Amino acid sequence: MDVGSTLPRGKILQKRYRLLGSLLALSLVAVACGDDDSTSTTTGGSSDSTGAPVEGAEITIALGSEPTSLDPYIVDDGAERAINDNIYETLLSRDAGGTLQPGLATALPTQIDETTWQFTLREGVTFHDGSAFNADSVVASINRIVKLVADAATDNDGFYRTITGATKVDDVTVNITTDGPDGVLPARMYWLKMIPASAETTADLSESLVGTGPYKFVSRTVGSDIQIEVNPEYWGDAPSITKVTYEFVAEGGTRLAGLKSGKYDLITNLPPQDVDQAPQPANVQGQEHPVLILDVDEGITADPNVRLALNLAVDKQAIIDQVYGGFAVADAAQILSPSVLGFNADLAPVEYDPEQAKQLITDAGLEGATIQLVGEAGRWLNDRELLEAVAGYWKATGLEVQLDILEFGAYLDVLFDRTNRADAIFVSSSNDILDPDRQLSTYYQAGGIGASNSNEELSALIDQGRQQLDPADRQATYEEAVKIAADGSYFVWLASNSDLYGLSERMSWTPRVDSKLLVKEMSVTS
Amino acid sequence: MGRYIARRLGQGLVVIFGVTIFVFVITRLIGDPVKFMLPLSATPEQREARRAAMGLDDGILTQFFRFIGDLLRLDLGESTYVRGQSALSVVFDYLPRTLQLVALGMIFAVVLSIPLGVLASRKPGGITDRILTTLSLIGLSMPQFFLGFMLLIAFTVKLQWFETGPGPWTTNLVLPAVCLALPAIGRLSIVVRSSMIDEMNTQYVKVAKAKGMTQRRIMGVHALRNAGIPYVTLLGWEIIRALAGYTVVVESVFNWPGLGFMAKTAIKNQDFYLIQAIVFVIAVIVVLLNIVIDIAYKVLDPRVDLQ
Repeated sequence: MDVGSTLPRGKILQKRYRLLGSLLALSLVAVACGDDDSTSTTTGGSSDSTGAPVEGAEITIALGSEPTSLDPYIVDDGAERAINDNIYETLLSRDAGGTLQPGLATALPTQIDETTWQFTLREGVTFHDGSAFNADSVVASINRIVKLVADAATDNDGFYRTITGATKVDDVTVNITTDGPDGVLPARMYWLKMIPASAETTADLSESLVGTGPYKFVSRTVGSDIQIEVNPEYWGDAPSITKVTYEFVAEGGTRLAGLKSGKYDLITNLPPQDVDQAPQPANVQGQEHPVLILDVDEGITADPNVRLALNLAVDKQAIIDQVYGGFAVADAAQILSPSVLGFNADLAPVEYDPEQAKQLITDAGLEGATIQLVGEAGRWLNDRELLEAVAGYWKATGLEVQLDILEFGAYLDVLFDRTNRADAIFVSSSNDILDPDRQLSTYYQAGGIGASNSNEELSALIDQGRQQLDPADRQATYEEAVKIAADGSYFVWLASNSDLYGLSERMSWTPRVDSKLLVKEMSVTS
Repeated sequence: MGRYIARRLGQGLVVIFGVTIFVFVITRLIGDPVKFMLPLSATPEQREARRAAMGLDDGILTQFFRFIGDLLRLDLGESTYVRGQSALSVVFDYLPRTLQLVALGMIFAVVLSIPLGVLASRKPGGITDRILTTLSLIGLSMPQFFLGFMLLIAFTVKLQWFETGPGPWTTNLVLPAVCLALPAIGRLSIVVRSSMIDEMNTQYVKVAKAKGMTQRRIMGVHALRNAGIPYVTLLGWEIIRALAGYTVVVESVFNWPGLGFMAKTAIKNQDFYLIQAIVFVIAVIVVLLNIVIDIAYKVLDPRVDLQ
C-alpha cells in the first residue's frame, strides 16, 4: 500500500525542511542538557586502591560472542574456552609465559616407548559432582575424544588426531598411546579437558559442566549470560574472586562503554584506537600473526627476488603504528611467536627498503605486471586497513596490485583452493596449544590447506619435528624449517598484533601469552 | 467460521511448505556450513569426513527427499552454529525476545498512532495536521539502522537512560521497541488520518452532526470504528514486516539477542538448518496472523463475509 500518495506532496516537503531544522536543534539541546542528570552508576575505578586483593569479590567479564556450545570436546571456540578454562582442568598447564607445567598430572610425562607416554596423576582431586579424579577419568576423556575424532563429530580433530587410546596402569598412572612417535602429545594434554568417567558416553557435555577446576557452573541464560562461582573443594590455592558473570556483547563500542561505566571488569578484543579510553588497558604479545602467503611455485611470485621485493617493500613499523596503534611487534620472518617452541631467534624482520624492492622488480622486468592479493574484511583486527596499506606499498615498487577483499565464504574458497593458488593470500595465523606443528603443517608444509609451496625438504622437516620426542631436537628441526621459508621469502611477514584487554581500575591481572582468561589468576583491589 | 479457518489453515500449510522448500533450494545453492564450522587449519580430509557425517556429500535429490521426510516429522535438523542443538529448539530459545520486542513496539505504535491520526484529521490542512503529517513522513522515511544509531547516541551514549544488550525491558527493550515503532507510527497515523477524513465526509456522519451529536462522540465512537479496517490491515502488515524483517536490523543495532539477531548469525555462518527453522517458524506465525486479521475484520464490521 502506498500511504504516501494520499498526501499533498509538494506542500508537505516545504514544511518538512523547516520542521526538520527546528527538530534537530531541539534534539541537540536535549542531548547537551542530558549530560548533567546522567543516571549511570559507577561501581569500579576507585582511586584509592590499596593493592590488597578483596576476598569474595564478584566480577563481570564481557565477551565478544556467545559460546556456540559448552562442550569443549566438540567445538573450537574462544568464548567456550574463556568460560570452560575455569571449570575444567588439563593434565598439563602452562605458566603465563607459555612454558609447560604440571596440571592434573604431577609432572611432565615420561616416554615408555616411541608411541606411549606415561602420566602420573595428582591424588585427592575431585570433580564438582564429588567423584574422584583418577586414571579412569583420564581413560574416559581419551576414549571420548578418540571416538569423536573417528566419527568426524569434533572440530578439534587437528589437536587429537594422533591419539589412539589410553590404558590405566594403576589409580594414579595412565599410559596414552599415539599412532606414531608424537612429540606434540604433551602440548595436546595441555588442551584436552578432563571429564569424569561417567561422562565418557555423554553426547553433549553442555547440559552438565563437571570439571575439577577452581570454578563451578551456576547458570546460563541463552543469548545473555553465564555465571560461575568458586569451587570450595578446589585442590589448589583458593581464588579470591568468588563469582563471575560472563556477558556476550557483540559490539566493541558497547563493551567499552560498559567497561567505562563500571559494568564490566574485563573486556576482550579492545581495539587499539580505544586504548586511551580504557580505565586500565592490558596487552601481551600473543599468537596472532597476520601474514601473506605467496605462491612459491607459479606465477609472478615464483621468482624468489620478487618475493623478497614484496617483503622489502612493506614498512612494518608504519603498519605497527598506523594499523595497530603501536600494539604490535614486527614478525621475525616467521609465523611463530617467541613463546612457542621452534621460534628461530636468529631470524630478524625484513628491513624496509623501498629502493631495493623497486630495483628487484625492475630487474625482473615486471614493471606494470599485476599481482593478485586476496583477503577479507572484518574477521581479524583492522584487516581491511592492513590489506590496503600493503597494496599501497606494493604499488610503489612498480607492480599493479589487484586487491580482492572478498566475503568470508568466498575468501575461504580461495584460501582452500589447492589447484589454483592466488599470488598472495592474506591470513591471520594463530596458535592455540603453543606448539608449532599445526601452524607449520597448515601454512608451511606442502599440501597444507593454506600452503603455497611444494618444498619437499621443508615438508620432511615438519614431519620430522612432529615425530621427534625430545623438545630440544624438535626446537632444532623447526628452527631449520622456518629458516628455509624465511630465506626463500615464502611469505610476507608483517607484524604480530598484541592481544588487548580493557580492565576496570579495580582489576589486577596480567594477560597470558596463550590468551586464557583464568579467573584464579585475577584479583580485585579495594 | 470454522470451515473458513480450516480452509485458510490448509492454504497456509501449502505456503509454509512452499517457503521452506524454497529456502532449502536457496541455501543448498549458495553455501557450505562445514566451511564455517571447522577451524581454518582443518585438513581437506577432515572437511570431507564432516560433510559425509552430515550427509552433505549425498546427491542433492537424496538430500531433498530426506529433508522432506524430516520436515513431515517436524525435524529441521541440527544447527551447525549453535552446536548439538536442534535448529527448532534454537529458534524457540531466541523467539521470545523477538516477540517481546515486537509486542512492545506495536503497543507503542497503536497507542500513539490512533490519537495522532485522529488529532491530525480534526482539521485537515490545519497547523496540527501539517506538523503531525510531517513528523509521520520523517518517521516512516527514516531507515531503521540510522534511526537506531541516532537513538543510541542520544539516549544510551549521551543521556545514559537506556542500555543495550539483553536485560530488563524497562532499561533494555524500550529503545529498540521505539526504533521499531517510529516508522510504524508514521505509517499507521497517516492511515488513521486519511480514513478518518473519509469517514467524516460520509452521509451517516452528516446525519449524526445534524441531529446534534458532539464531534468527539462522532469521531471517537462511530467514525473510528469504521476507519478500523484499513488500520487493522496495515497493523497486521506492520507486525509481519517487523517479525520477518525489521527485527533483524533493530536487534542487531541494539544487540538484542532475539531471532533477528540469530537470523543474521545463521546467514553469516551458512547454517542451513537454522535458517530453515527460522523461516519455517516465521512462516507459521505469519499464516496464523493473517487468519487473526481476517477474523478481526469480521469483529470490526459484521457485514464482512468470511466465506
